[in-house]
Amino acid sequence: MTEKVKLTWNGKQIEAVKGSNLLQAALDNGQEVAHYCYHAGLSIAGVCRMCMVEQDGVPRPFPSCNATCGEGMVIRNDTPKIKAAVENTLQFHLLNHPLDCPVCDQAGECGLQDYYMKHGQYDSQMIDKKVHKEKVQDIGKNVMLDAERCILCSRCTRFTEEVTKTNELGILNRGDHAEITVNENLKNDYAQNLVDICPVGALTSKDFRFKQRVWFLEEVYTTCIGCETGCSVKVSQNKNGSYRVKPVFDETVNGHWMCDDGRSIYKHVSSPTRLQVASENMNGLFVPADESRVVELVTGKKANFILSTSLTNEEYARFFESIKGSKASVALYTLPTQGPEFDGILRRGDKNANLRGAQKAFEAAGFDHTSAGLDKVLNAISASDVAYVVVPEILYNEDHFNTLLKKIEKASTRIALTPGETLSSMKVFNYLLPVPSFLEKEGHIVNFQGTQRQLNAGLSYGETTKDISYYGKWVNV
Amino acid sequence: MERIMEKDTANYKDYSLLSYHHIPGVHNLEVFERAGGYEMMKACFDKDPEAIKEVVKASGLRGRGGAGFPTGVKWGFFTKDRNAQKYLLCNADESEPGTFKDRYLVEKNPHILIEGMIISAWALGTQKGYIYIRGEFQQQAVILERALKEAYAKGYLGKNILGKGFNFDLYVHRGAGAYICGEETGMISSLEGKKGQPKLKPPFPAIKGYRGLPTMVNNVESLAAVPWIMRFGADEYKKWGTEKSAGTKLFSISGDVNKPGVIEVPLGTTLKEIIEVHCGGMRNGNKLKAVVPGGSSAPVFNHDESYSVKMDYEDVASKGSMLGSGAIIVLDETRNIGDLMKWTLEFYHHESCGQCTPCREGTGWLESIFKRRETGKASKADIDTLDKTAASMRGQTICALADAAAMPAQGMIKSFRSELEAYIMTPTNTGKK
Repeated sequence: MTEKVKLTWNGKQIEAVKGSNLLQAALDNGQEVAHYCYHAGLSIAGVCRMCMVEQDGVPRPFPSCNATCGEGMVIRNDTPKIKAAVENTLQFHLLNHPLDCPVCDQAGECGLQDYYMKHGQYDSQMIDKKVHKEKVQDIGKNVMLDAERCILCSRCTRFTEEVTKTNELGILNRGDHAEITVNENLKNDYAQNLVDICPVGALTSKDFRFKQRVWFLEEVYTTCIGCETGCSVKVSQNKNGSYRVKPVFDETVNGHWMCDDGRSIYKHVSSPTRLQVASENMNGLFVPADESRVVELVTGKKANFILSTSLTNEEYARFFESIKGSKASVALYTLPTQGPEFDGILRRGDKNANLRGAQKAFEAAGFDHTSAGLDKVLNAISASDVAYVVVPEILYNEDHFNTLLKKIEKASTRIALTPGETLSSMKVFNYLLPVPSFLEKEGHIVNFQGTQRQLNAGLSYGETTKDISYYGKWVNV
Repeated sequence: MERIMEKDTANYKDYSLLSYHHIPGVHNLEVFERAGGYEMMKACFDKDPEAIKEVVKASGLRGRGGAGFPTGVKWGFFTKDRNAQKYLLCNADESEPGTFKDRYLVEKNPHILIEGMIISAWALGTQKGYIYIRGEFQQQAVILERALKEAYAKGYLGKNILGKGFNFDLYVHRGAGAYICGEETGMISSLEGKKGQPKLKPPFPAIKGYRGLPTMVNNVESLAAVPWIMRFGADEYKKWGTEKSAGTKLFSISGDVNKPGVIEVPLGTTLKEIIEVHCGGMRNGNKLKAVVPGGSSAPVFNHDESYSVKMDYEDVASKGSMLGSGAIIVLDETRNIGDLMKWTLEFYHHESCGQCTPCREGTGWLESIFKRRETGKASKADIDTLDKTAASMRGQTICALADAAAMPAQGMIKSFRSELEAYIMTPTNTGKK
């Protein structure tokens, strides 16, 4: 049982867990505290000096990030003394900052801009030569470093030290010549988190650089389908497409972080080669086709469905409902394990985002979800059959998928239901039919812990509202 | 023969720290012991450690590194669990510009420090100690190493010291020459093999220090005073100095005096006496202009303040400066305060560790503002900007370096504003390179 204490923050009573971080308690209670170096997922550095507070009975101001909550504490950060201190400290942060906001990707979500609106002195007294440091450094893993924009909060060095334990980053030199340096190029699989935790534009993502202004983007809060972990994420998108994936704090699953693999899960959704309408294979070239011709073709033929593991529980249920009463056979294609079973942080080798949900749905509908079941279905395919393959949303191992495609060549009619791009290997199909991607549907998946994870729909691209149950109904035509 | 005997006898009457310094070859353990050295160490092993702590506390000895925090009180914060792993560190970094007292003490008489450390280790129950010595003090490090070897050979250090079942290993660690490694947590970081950056407090080193274990850090001079205090008792020690600043203190005097050097006088001695009597007066009979009383981070005293101040913690503080490490820098009328300011600001800009923003950016900016004359951008209002900027750095950082840079700057502005204004408005051509 965690003991609660009451304390007073700027004259307001707030409640917090005894001994918990004072700054975090204030933030949790909706109080505003300027801070750069503090991050709930990292150790305390206490170097940005922005979160200073005064306490009754304590002679000197102190940083709230290095204090713990105690009963009856009376804390203020709205006194003239503290306000002046924050203003001055912000001035020091901006002193040697290049102010290249017009070409900086962080603009719009930058800690310096945000606090400048609130605590800025506006009247610049800096007429001296600024300290210049190296800009545009590619430090590996899609991360770009601009040492000049850096405010040396040390979040990134603490991240590589404490979270990934790879120690690629360090701070070299002293005083105002101190700068972030790479001992070796980034090699950890969580490097993109550095971009997220950097409060300014010092670390930016090569993938996102110069693509969009953040104020033109909206966030979809959903779940990563990159592996069975199922991290909480948000995808930034607008009508032109999706641009980036960032982790969302989730205590039970991913904490503050996500892996680099998960950062690219959005790419197929608004890709120019994304399948948008039903297409027919004309000698290796896919051209838009009339759906009624497909229906005509499959009518009366035996259907074989090979489902993927990245569909939602609801989709599986609707699908099995749609084929009820038919002679269609159904099997499940599971993605092969990729890399170690668990890398010790978040990433898992099992890339099947909703394997547990799929298995449950198969069992409920009386179908075999094992690989033996898949082989059985594949072996039984005859020339007069129709083979439907639901293409996995994220294909880590295309070769493995191609061996599956080899096995369905026996069927005369081969149809792919794909939420993504048209791959070269898809020439094996006669028809390609679009299904919604994970970003275009509401539903649930079950992660490795057996926890239900929510998928949310963002903007839709093309004719992708027809899910697999729509095509499943064709078996009874 | 008699004369030699006299030279071999310690002068406890006049000195506590330099009581052996007149003895030739006292850096040798044999000579030191003949003069009475290591007697107190042997005697203290029969005493209750808590009783030793009490004596040190009662003596009113205050940390001689600069902060002046009572040593006995600091010891009181230390864990009493004798079996717990913990460290005793001696701060011999002595990086404050103008200070060279620890160097003088260690160079001539390393054993007084070692004896003091063994007694302190016994009192505190530490099993391991390090003497963190400034990188530039190569010769002194060699002297200390040799002295340690002698002490080990005699069985005063190592396992089961003098059969008392007490273990204490002592090592010399040489720094790499950063000012900030004289700050106790910066020193601990450096000793741990990291960049010499001060650590966030709390936790204080007494609770969580070197390698995350309880660590006591004391200055050379504080530790070296312990044997004398144990020999004659707290009351005798308190006969020196003032009520709140007990004992004697080493002062490093440099600058425009006839006899610069290290002296040991009771706290509370007037600065006038130090200059006129101990240092033989001002050089060339020049008029005294200013005195930096406690190392480069102490605000400067003008002529009148210098001649009225008594050198103890309280009196110096009441006149707006600090006793610090006891580094007295004397300037005569031929000196320009602008040069002192420039040199001070350059130093702190160079030595800021770069951790906390106000200090990292502020120290550099102070220097830039003051040097605007080199780029032709100077105006008289710059002094106000300088004063304001310095004020906004104070009390905002993990360690006191920001204050150490801001305080002397503000002090010089307070006492010598018109001279500084004239200085910054004098164009130089150094910027045209």
